[in-house]
Amino acid sequence: MSPPSAMPRVRRFLLALVCLGGIHYTAPWPGPQAVLNTFLVLGLAPGFNSPLAGMAWAAAGGWVLEGTLRLYPHLGGTGFGNMLAYLLAFSLVLRWPPHALKPYWGRQAVLVLIHTLLVHFSVAFAAGSHNWGTGWLWSLLLTPAWATVALRLHPPLHRK
Amino acid sequence: MRDRPWGLGPTGRRRWAMAALLLGHLVWMALGRGSSGRWRHLLDLLAIPPRTASARWEDWKAARSQRITNVREAQAEILGLRAQVTALLSARAAEAPRLAEADEAVRLLGLKKLLPLDFRAARVIVNVRKAPFGGMILDRGEDAGLVPDQGVICPEGVVGRIWDVGMTQSSLLPLDAYNASTGVMLARSRATGVLQGLGPGKAAIRYIGTQEVVQVGEPVFTSGLDRIFPRGLLVGYVSSALPHDVELHVEVVLAAPLDRVGVVLILPPHPQMEIQPPSGPAQAAPSKKGGR
Repeated sequence: MSPPSAMPRVRRFLLALVCLGGIHYTAPWPGPQAVLNTFLVLGLAPGFNSPLAGMAWAAAGGWVLEGTLRLYPHLGGTGFGNMLAYLLAFSLVLRWPPHALKPYWGRQAVLVLIHTLLVHFSVAFAAGSHNWGTGWLWSLLLTPAWATVALRLHPPLHRK
Repeated sequence: MRDRPWGLGPTGRRRWAMAALLLGHLVWMALGRGSSGRWRHLLDLLAIPPRTASARWEDWKAARSQRITNVREAQAEILGLRAQVTALLSARAAEAPRLAEADEAVRLLGLKKLLPLDFRAARVIVNVRKAPFGGMILDRGEDAGLVPDQGVICPEGVVGRIWDVGMTQSSLLPLDAYNASTGVMLARSRATGVLQGLGPGKAAIRYIGTQEVVQVGEPVFTSGLDRIFPRGLLVGYVSSALPHDVELHVEVVLAAPLDRVGVVLILPPHPQMEIQPPSGPAQAAPSKKGGR
């Protein structure tokens, strides 16, 4: 595997930063906010060359989302769930790099469901019972959109 | 030298950092329950710049919309606003009597809750009390089961008694009518007497002995001896007390605003002399197990 060039890494970093800001500023609309969080965790973060960086971005997304929701008495559950989901997505990308669009959509849709379960179990562990909302449905329905963006506009570095 | 996966090389350090990140979260979640206020405070701080920018943007838009570029349009707008203000004032004036009556009804409801009697509410439809042989007319009569000599009160105090009853209306004899007499007592000395009307808003108490000590401003209540009003309803306040032959001439300013009373409560005929204030919530029925 050839070393990644500096430009995509910077671009990916900037895109992740925009995503994080988007999660913060879309707080009044929980649906799009959840889609941005999913895109950051399952679409953008696995593309970072360093798994530590990807995991940190996933955790940051979870913390920002929880901080803007202002619903839970104790924060941290979403960040933890994001990290676990990221590790799963990252290992899948490493083992089976995506080559075609539609199988990638299917994989990401399954990952969305697993991510939802992981996040809600973590939040239940950290903060107790909570409302699941419809954010996961938004993410699932918009999987073709954000997964296409993740794959085509900004392909994971491992594919190069 | 080969880089070990969990050693101190770059890969190992990265793995240790990831494990620390995960474990740190896990420990935070398990042991946490600490305050998240600082994090939220930080997010609030981050939100200040866009909030300030959007406030300025709104201010700019408001200033732009209020800028006058055409004098004729501005004058037309002023005329339109004046018409709106006039319409609103007219609507408020039209609603004022209803609002006043609603306020009075609310106060009557409060009074009704305080006194455990079977009241009937009535509206004063004519008030010519100051005219010769004038009085007040109520909108209830025989159809509501009224009979002469039922007491009439309002939240401020006693108003008078039913004088004559028609089919759908009845006339009211106010306390200040010259031919009205009511059994009253003084608040401090508990001396009883008869209140007789002296003209608009005033009345005098008869049959109070000169040995009684009466103070100006002392409240006057119904005594209950006339069997029209129960004991203890506020009638008015002593305005002067002067000896006159063998009795005190005690003048009373009536508490009820007879000129502007609009809704009244009619007491049942011949109420009990003493009325007990309502107790708290109803007591639970005694259990049958214990009773013999």
